[in-house]
Parts: sequence; structure tokens; C-alpha cells
Amino acid sequence: MNEELIIGIDLGTTNSLVGVVDSGFPLVLADREGGRLTPSCVSWATSGEPLVGKEAFRSRMISPERTVSSIKRFIGRTFSDLTAQEREDAGFPLVAGRYDEILVAIDPETLATPEEISALILARLKKIAEEALEMPVSRAVITVPAYFNNTQREATKRAAGLAGLTVERIINEPTAAALAYGLDKLEESATVAVYDLGGGTFDLSILQMHDGFFEVISTAGDTRLGGDDLDRVIARHFAATLALGELSPGEEATLLARAREVKEALSIEESVTARFPFFRGSASFELELSRPALEKLLTPVIERTRPIARRAFAEAASKGVAEVERLILVGGSTRIPLVREKLQEWFGLVPDISQHPDESIALGAAIQAGMLCGRVRQIILVDVTPLSLGIETFGGLMNVIIPRNSTIPVKAGELFTNAVDHQESMAIRVLQGERELAKDNWLLGEVTVPFTPGPKGSARVGVQFAIGLDGILEVLARDTVTGEDHVLEIRNAAIDVDDEAVERMVSESIDCAFDDMNERIWTEAKLKSEELLPAVGEALALVGHLVPADDLAGIEAATARVRSALESESHDSTALKSANAALDEATQTLAAILVEAAFSGLDS
Amino acid sequence: MTNYFALLGLPEALSLDPEVVETSWREKSRALADSSSGSEAPLDHPDLNQARSTLADPALRLAHWLALRAPDSPADRSIDPSLMDLFSAISPVLEKTDKLLASHRRATTALTKAMLTREAIDVQLQIQELLQRIQPLRSSLTGQFDDLEKAGGEDDFQPATRALGQLKFLKRWEEQCRERLLSLIAC
Repeated sequence: MNEELIIGIDLGTTNSLVGVVDSGFPLVLADREGGRLTPSCVSWATSGEPLVGKEAFRSRMISPERTVSSIKRFIGRTFSDLTAQEREDAGFPLVAGRYDEILVAIDPETLATPEEISALILARLKKIAEEALEMPVSRAVITVPAYFNNTQREATKRAAGLAGLTVERIINEPTAAALAYGLDKLEESATVAVYDLGGGTFDLSILQMHDGFFEVISTAGDTRLGGDDLDRVIARHFAATLALGELSPGEEATLLARAREVKEALSIEESVTARFPFFRGSASFELELSRPALEKLLTPVIERTRPIARRAFAEAASKGVAEVERLILVGGSTRIPLVREKLQEWFGLVPDISQHPDESIALGAAIQAGMLCGRVRQIILVDVTPLSLGIETFGGLMNVIIPRNSTIPVKAGELFTNAVDHQESMAIRVLQGERELAKDNWLLGEVTVPFTPGPKGSARVGVQFAIGLDGILEVLARDTVTGEDHVLEIRNAAIDVDDEAVERMVSESIDCAFDDMNERIWTEAKLKSEELLPAVGEALALVGHLVPADDLAGIEAATARVRSALESESHDSTALKSANAALDEATQTLAAILVEAAFSGLDS
Repeated sequence: MTNYFALLGLPEALSLDPEVVETSWREKSRALADSSSGSEAPLDHPDLNQARSTLADPALRLAHWLALRAPDSPADRSIDPSLMDLFSAISPVLEKTDKLLASHRRATTALTKAMLTREAIDVQLQIQELLQRIQPLRSSLTGQFDDLEKAGGEDDFQPATRALGQLKFLKRWEEQCRERLLSLIAC
């Protein structure tokens, strides 16, 4: 029927939504049961086809190790990039594939990539749209966190392809939210900041809205910071308070689910009781948590958004945009009263909560889709690339070619020549990130620049790096001698190994994944103890006299616990980790006093 | 090479009001969007964006102007004596900042991070001081733009090449300082 229709998808860490523009208005489509949120969950709990969405979400307690959630945290990343903590927190086994890609190992026979799992979720959204609209759908706009790098964007695009969707545009989540916010205010001029704290990612973008222009000035973010982290902090608190010790995967899933419920309930109530009936055999537990106690737990996580936000503000200021008039909140985690209070305290702006925290990004995606198929006019969207793009130079440094926050589409060229006689080609490593050393940035891949053989310095190839409206890189080479232009493939840097070796590697790493990870976690925990213990001594020497007696006693007890855990013969990593966490928590006040002293020292 | 002045419909002048560049960029972007309304890409025009970012920045604008007028003039990479003091003041501060940032990245707890706050404040102040020294040096160079244009009219591009060399140094130092400041914000 209507071949031109494009849907807008918010592929979220915890929930996903699909929307469309109808008669000039964006709306979120509901599934057959009337639900608009589809949990981003896939489960292989039963034999046969995997369950997706609500059904999968329900089975997470019954078979936690066969249920995958928050897969967005892993899309477009490599296995070696993951910390032991991240692998442990995943809740399902992860193994390395042939090219260092991440594989979810439900069992040795069921392996799936994050892209394949995301594709199952996207296919479900496609189906919801087709049922609601009563027509086939094949084109989509998909949102990604603004801070997603090239590889993560490409992986998202491939996932859509697997789900039978052509991606017409990838847009940034905070930008989408700004579109939803500004659609009915096109005649206004304003500078706004969008604070987007979702289930797994955080972004802050600053935009200028003027005369139908939506222009992103700066953006900053963390693709591993969101509601999931808040849930984990609460779940850890439950485990520590109830002295549960080692947890089974089922118990961990239960704790996380309760943590989420308690977090949500405490956004409204002042106090709630978390109940754990028949938690361990016949043992039941319950635990009361007040809002202030919850806020004490959440503060360190929420504080992590502050320097990121400040960075975006500072960067906008250096581009001449000093005053932000409105602070728009989106993402489920912005329902938490503490988030709103902190923001007001930090930025002196009353947060604008006019947008639906869960739906505004999907609405924005629908608006962008409407713009592309001519259903929405008058809007011009101007976005930026979040990360600097560069190449590795001699000596392992990164040479920036396109700086971050450059308006996209953007292109920049570099000229390359042969360094020796008859050199046939040259390999260039393409990087993304802000660090000076190449190795500290993301390696996007390698391109090979071909040379026409000749004496040293005779070949001249112009290489053009172009970032399109999706935020995705394309590399073109033009031989200035022959005038030929062609696209260079950005290859994964992994070495090709023969199939048999690959199979062996994969199966070995699967064995390891199901093995006890204790020793690795022990080493990581030990490093943390070695970092903390001397710092406690130094800090107490500096400002110990300013610390309340209660806190001092707490620090002393926590320090002793870490020391005794370190000495344990059995390398009990669970005990050491929890002792570290307790010391980390016990020293929060001490840390705050240190920071304060550092600032007040300026006056003296 | 694309002439960015022409692309934005602006005179090939070294002294350009950034507001004028902005307005012209908006008009062209709007026209482009209207002409391709409803089609695939409403604003798929990297050249237009490039023109804006080039012309809005004095050093890039001068470089582009020189490339159009005197494409073969050799680059001047010498540091003017007036910049020498600044140059020798910048590198130790940047080095100190990098060491601090490295320690901060290694720190995984609130306490170990807090231990670095004092030093972070100190270097921030030092960097801000450096940035304040860059400002007047740059203004004095951009203040010469009219003269550079005049000399260029008489086919003398040596002063422009020289000014570009100095502006490039200042630009790079400013970027390095700003980059460190942004990273320090997280401390």
C-alpha cells in the first residue's frame, strides 16, 4: 500500500518503542494488548523459537541465564574491551568469537551476537507496527545514544538489516527528544539542554532551536551509565544488608528485579518494604528502604553524570553558546526525584519535565521519519559527531582529522604518498576518541591506500574521511594522478585464522566462560584494595581532624575488613569485593571533605 | 578547490563578521532543504558545513584565503619571538596536566579521585592563565587582516603567510589548553 511510510524506532537498553507520524502528529504504536513499551529482552527459556519482549521479560526469573536483557550495552563492542566486572554483571555468559566479537552463549549450541539479539527485538517492533498500521513496513529511522561510536552505529544498522528493515537514518537520542519537544514550538528561539538518562546510557546534548532549525551545539555522554547501574547498586545493598553471601543467578535476577521495583516505588513513596518470599529454600526475607537511604545509595551513580554534563556545557560555551535556558529531561531514570533535585542544584535551572520520559525519543524518531517521507516539513535538523575522528601517525599518536562536535555531514581530506620506491600500498589505522595516544582510542579498523608504483614520493592519493548524517564514516581514496575515486573498506583489524583454529578458540573460550571466573575477579579486586588502602592513610593524615567520629570508626572497621579479606588463603573474591565496596562507601564523606578542603584552600 | 566564500555568497575578505557567515549558512541550508523537500537527504551537503566552519575561524579563513590567492606560497613554520615566552610556558603545564589526568584515570574510587582535586584546581588556574595570554596575541594578528589583504592586492603574500604560521600555533595551543581544561572538569 503506502510504500513511502517510514517508522521511527527507539531501540532502548531496557525498553523499545515504535512510532509513526499520522496527520502531522507523531504517535507511539501499541501492540495487540495495548502496550507501548516492549521490553528489550530475548529468552531461550523454552525449546524452539526464542521469546521476545514481554514474554521474555517474564521468563527472566525462571531462567535468568537463558534470558538476555540490556544487550545494547554490548552492541558494536569487542570482547577484549569488556572488563571482568561487565561480563559478570551481564547476567548471561559471554564468549569471544572469531574476530574478537562478543557472543552470547546461552548454551554451547546456542550462540548469538548482540546484533542478532537486537534484530529479534527490532523484528518484534516491525511486527507491532505492521499490525497497528495494517500494512507492511520496511523502512525505519532508529535512534542511538549520541555518544555511540562508528562501530556501534554500524552494528545497529546491521541489526536492522537482519530484521528486514532498511535504515533511512540513524539519529541521536537526545536530538530526537529535542525534536519531540520543539515540534509545537517552531516559532520560538531557545537554547536547550537535553539530559537523557536511560536504562543503560547517558547523553547530554545542547541545542539551539531557531526558526525551524534544530542545531546541536555540543554533546557528551557515557554509553555505560544508566538505570541498570542504579538497580545494581540497590541489589548490592540488599545482598550486603541481608548478608546473603554468594548468589545464584536466579537469586541475583530476583534481587535486581526487586531493586528496580523499589527504585520505581520510591520515586513516589517515602518508604517501601522489599519482600523476598522463599528466597533461599524456605527462607524468606524482607527489608525496608526509605527514600533518603535510597538516595544515599544512588548519589554516587548520579554524580557521574555531572562532569559529563559540565563538559557539554563548557564546550557549548567555547563555541559561543554560554546561556542554556531550558533543561529537558528524558529517559526513564529522570523520574527519580533525586535526579531532578541534583540537576537544579548543579545548573540552577528548574528541569522541564513536559516530555514523556519513556516515549519522547520514539516520538522524535517518528518525526525524523516523517521529515524523510515528506509528512513533516519546516524542520531542519543539524547534528554533530560526538567523537573526534583521526588516524594513527608514526609513533602511535592520534592525528585528529575531524574534531568532535563537528557539524555533520562533514568531510576532511589528507594526502598520502609513497615513502619508498615502488611501494604498492599503505595501511592507515582509523580511530575515534579524544585521547592523544592511538592505543587509548577506539580502533575503527584499517584502510589500505593503494599507490601507483613509482619512485618515492611520486604517488599522490587523497583520502577523504566523510561522516554522513547517520554519524557513520565512509573513506574514499582519490588518486590525484589518475583521478580515480573509490570507497576504501574499513576492515576489522583481526587476523584471519583458519576455521579449525577458530572453532577451537571459540569452544575454549566457551569452556572458560562457564568456568569459575574467581581468579580474574580476585586480581581486579586486589588492585582496587591496593589503590584504596594507601589513599585512606594519606587522606586521613590530611583532613582526618575534620571527619566526624562515626565516620572515622566506620572507615577503621572497613579498612580492617579489607585487610583481613586480602590475607585470606582461599582468595575469596566475593568477600574482597564486598569489603572494597564497604570501604569505598565508608570513605565517601572523607572524599567529600577532601574535595571541599581543596576548593576552600583557594581562599587561604 | 571549492571557494567557500563564493559558496556562501560572501566577499573574499579576511575580516568577516561571524554573524554574517552564520546567517548566510542558514539561508543556504534552508534553500537546500526546500529544494530537496521530501526526498532522502534534506541537508546532505558537507561543503556547506565545511564552508561555515572554515570561514567562522580566523586561522582557517586566512588559510583558505591564501590557498585561493597564492596556492604556491610556502608555509612559514617559524615561531615569532613574541610567541616564544608563551611557548615555553605552555609545555610544562600541559605535561603536568597529562600526568594528573593519567592518575585520575587510574583512580577507581571517590577517595583516590578526591586526593587529586587540589592539584587539579591548581593546573586549571594555570591553564586559564595561559588561555588569557593567547587571547591578545591572537587579536593583534587578526587586527592585521586589513593590511594583509592590502599587501595581497599588491601580490605580496609573505606577511599573510607569516601571520598564518603564528595563528596556527596559537590555535593549536588554545585547542590543547581547552582540551585539558575539559578533561580536568571531570576531576
